[in-house]
Amino acid sequence: MADTYRIPIISRGRIIEPGEDAAEFKGRGGATFLAPDPHKHIHDLVLGNPVLLGDLQNTPTRDIIDFLAEAGKRLHIDDNPYLQESFALALRAGGLAEPILRGVYDDLPHMFDPAAMAAQVENTIGIDYLDGWVPSPSGPHCRVRAVGTRQLHITAGNVPVVAALTIVRGALTKSDILIKSPSNDPLTANAIMRTLLELDANHPVCKHVAVAYWKGGDEFMDSQIVRTSRIDKITAWGGMSSVKHIQKFLTPGIDLTALNPKFSMSVIGKEALESEEAMEEAATGIAVISGFYNQTACANTRLVYVECDTDDDSLDKLAELGRKVVAAYKTLPEVMSTPFATPNQDLEAELEAVALEDDFYTVEGDTLNGGVVVSRFPDRVDFFDQLNNRVVNLVPVTDLLDIVKWCDDTTQTVGVYPEALRNRLLDPFALAGVQRLVPLKGGNPMQIFKEMHTLPPGMPHDGIEPLRRNVRWVIDHRPVEEAVPLSIAAE
Amino acid sequence: MTETVLEKSGLSPDNPGNWLDDGYERLLAISWRDCEDVQLAILKRRFEELVPQVAALERLAKREGITGIERFEDALPLFFDHRVYKSYPLSLIETRDFPKLTGWLNRLTTHDLTKMDLSGLTMIDDWIDRLDAFGMFIGHSTGTTGKLSFIPRSQTELHAFRSCHNEASRASSGVNPWNDPIETFFPGYRYGHQMALKMVSTFNIPAAGGEEHYHTLYPGRISADLMSLAGRMQAAEDRGELERLGLDPALLKARKEMIAQGKRREQDIEAFFNTLFEEFRGRRVKIGGTFGDLIRTARSGIEKGIKPEFAPGSFIGTGGGMKGFKDPPPDWENYVKDFFGIDTVSMVYGMSEGCGFAPRCQHGFFHTMPHTVPFLFDSDMKLLPREGVQTGRYAFFDLQAETYWGGFISGDQVTIHWEEDCPCGWKGPRVGPVITRFAEMEGGDEKISCAGTAQAYNDFMDFVSQA
Repeated sequence: MADTYRIPIISRGRIIEPGEDAAEFKGRGGATFLAPDPHKHIHDLVLGNPVLLGDLQNTPTRDIIDFLAEAGKRLHIDDNPYLQESFALALRAGGLAEPILRGVYDDLPHMFDPAAMAAQVENTIGIDYLDGWVPSPSGPHCRVRAVGTRQLHITAGNVPVVAALTIVRGALTKSDILIKSPSNDPLTANAIMRTLLELDANHPVCKHVAVAYWKGGDEFMDSQIVRTSRIDKITAWGGMSSVKHIQKFLTPGIDLTALNPKFSMSVIGKEALESEEAMEEAATGIAVISGFYNQTACANTRLVYVECDTDDDSLDKLAELGRKVVAAYKTLPEVMSTPFATPNQDLEAELEAVALEDDFYTVEGDTLNGGVVVSRFPDRVDFFDQLNNRVVNLVPVTDLLDIVKWCDDTTQTVGVYPEALRNRLLDPFALAGVQRLVPLKGGNPMQIFKEMHTLPPGMPHDGIEPLRRNVRWVIDHRPVEEAVPLSIAAE
Repeated sequence: MTETVLEKSGLSPDNPGNWLDDGYERLLAISWRDCEDVQLAILKRRFEELVPQVAALERLAKREGITGIERFEDALPLFFDHRVYKSYPLSLIETRDFPKLTGWLNRLTTHDLTKMDLSGLTMIDDWIDRLDAFGMFIGHSTGTTGKLSFIPRSQTELHAFRSCHNEASRASSGVNPWNDPIETFFPGYRYGHQMALKMVSTFNIPAAGGEEHYHTLYPGRISADLMSLAGRMQAAEDRGELERLGLDPALLKARKEMIAQGKRREQDIEAFFNTLFEEFRGRRVKIGGTFGDLIRTARSGIEKGIKPEFAPGSFIGTGGGMKGFKDPPPDWENYVKDFFGIDTVSMVYGMSEGCGFAPRCQHGFFHTMPHTVPFLFDSDMKLLPREGVQTGRYAFFDLQAETYWGGFISGDQVTIHWEEDCPCGWKGPRVGPVITRFAEMEGGDEKISCAGTAQAYNDFMDFVSQA
């Protein structure tokens, strides 16, 4: 395993290797990256003239889907040395355990499934809109087209899915994308693009993707790239850390989609404490939604609000539920969740401090095998924002609607058990900022996990519709008498 | 045992709180290796006395399976960190549950707080006043994270605390706070239970020669109530529900005033210093303030062509680090000395959790004194060797803590020179010259991932963090 990684710039069909004047960057786990100095390659990174997107505009969406589908067949990690390199680096960076990481990489080809991609773009924008001008049903003299734009993507690096999703979405929307790779994953976008380039470097999709790494806060890069003359749309993952440096260059004319970090939760009704079976079922659901991807994902539950009183008997039952959650972690398949090899020192210190306060908290488990902090009063722990390593906080509340005050835009995913709870909470939660409610029932970890992760293609993401948002919707408004009714056009 | 111990260091194990009674000079002339025996003897005694009386220590000792101390290393797993002093549920403060809060505090001290009368209390500052009347000397933190910690110091430690503060000040400034009063100017609050402020007003008002010689920017006190509720109040205000929190209207009014005050702070400080420059020209003064305050004042004064003039024997007393002040001038100390026309800047290193202060010598090092036993940890919490020059997370055992446990792990990263070869002539393990916050990431602040929370904007805390 190399200590120094050579990371070329991918520029619209070309691979620019780091040369003698390569810039050196430090990564996690002691790795060093050598990349061409991005300062010298601004024009290789940005498209500049938007009219040059014409080649992609004129490529039928079906062709693009076919191309991506063909590429998808080559994205099986066992056959792809680029993905193998990216996998090795990701493992070294220490974010996810090997079985989980392996599962995530094994899923990558599915993101290039032709039927799924077609449904995704059809259910959101509509292929007709991408391939031509579609008359408005209520006024056929007006036609609308969804036009590709020039985009900057500041991607997240905790899972390779983000790189794949960015490339697929960019291609399906016939857009020109510049991906700024994150320091915790400088290789995946490259790996996918090198695979596409090997397939056909001259394909219009390849002509409109650039990938490079540069340090966040590099004012020269930010000022060169974030200009309305060069970029139409920015998608920034990671919240403030990715946005803070480019903030001063943002101006009207550049549309920013900020996919900020999320802090998800679950809500459990009193039924979960009323019988042994219900408690087991609820515990399994909680363990799955907290434990998958070892709690590194935006959708992972960290806080669990339980409909429960605060007398000693009720709290004993709540603690019992907590113990069952910790026990359930052990039953999760390792492709979903594993124990941790090293403890999380800061979180262990927090757990130790509250464990000394047994009037207020009951603590079970640890940051290696998973744990739970049961609040003995209706409030979350003060270090809730540090919950990780499969440690969750169980909070007793009398009325689950009260927790609306703790919901906001960061409350992406809310696990629900039992289903009977859902209708009462749905609308208030939606108003408060929640983006998705998911079921926790069933008692079968893989089934719960699969159902939670199988969304019909084209669903909103974090409360927005990124595909629709990232195209430009243009109106061709003609004289009324030139209207071509849809039915005649079809003949 | 006692006789051998007395021979090496000359220090009695019976009451470290009195070691400074004859002045700092004696303590800074003793080699730290000669103190280890008496320090360990005291630490052992503290462990034995406090475990049965301080419930938090007892629980921790039980968890760690520690029943006795033979060497310093044995005590390290028992050191508290900042979390222990704020492990109460925040809702206790919000609901003003003084019985439960007192019960929580009771677990950190040998004083029997269950005997306290808590009737009629509605404000945290009043609760602390009452604790102090009962025999405590409670200081709280600034709470930049929105949650206050409470240090369970008491009147028992006050003599030692005052000695440490005054002697460290004398050592680093040359001015004797015990018998040489000096007109004092402090651009902050006058009173309050925030530990740094409480210490300053308790010790510096007598050192100034009395109330009328102690000048502060704000005449009132910093409010623990406002600080403890800042986060919740901002969130409520954002939703237009501030009134619904059911708080004392006087508190809401005070918050508004503080926010307004915060917006005017820079002008107010300027006016404060201008008064100082005009009315006390040619007099001997002590000037306090953060690095930021001093630099800002110097900058704007230079722009305005102001030339302060003070008598010899004046000094500037400061500390606490740059605290986010942007673009300080390269040699800020001389810049400030030049402007103020004062050639002495006195600094000490310490923290609210301990009584001890390490005075800064002319060579820029902070010399710890024997009543503070320093330790350094690496990022895996392994003890670094006590030799040569080491950099790590600073922890200490405060031998002067009699009614609470003196072992504490800080969030500071410091360098300690263990060989006593400082050109200034003072002994003791010396810290410095640079002190930073401890952070363990390498190349990692660019990591972008999907899970996390948002930082809430807070008008009030914006203001407080400047103070």
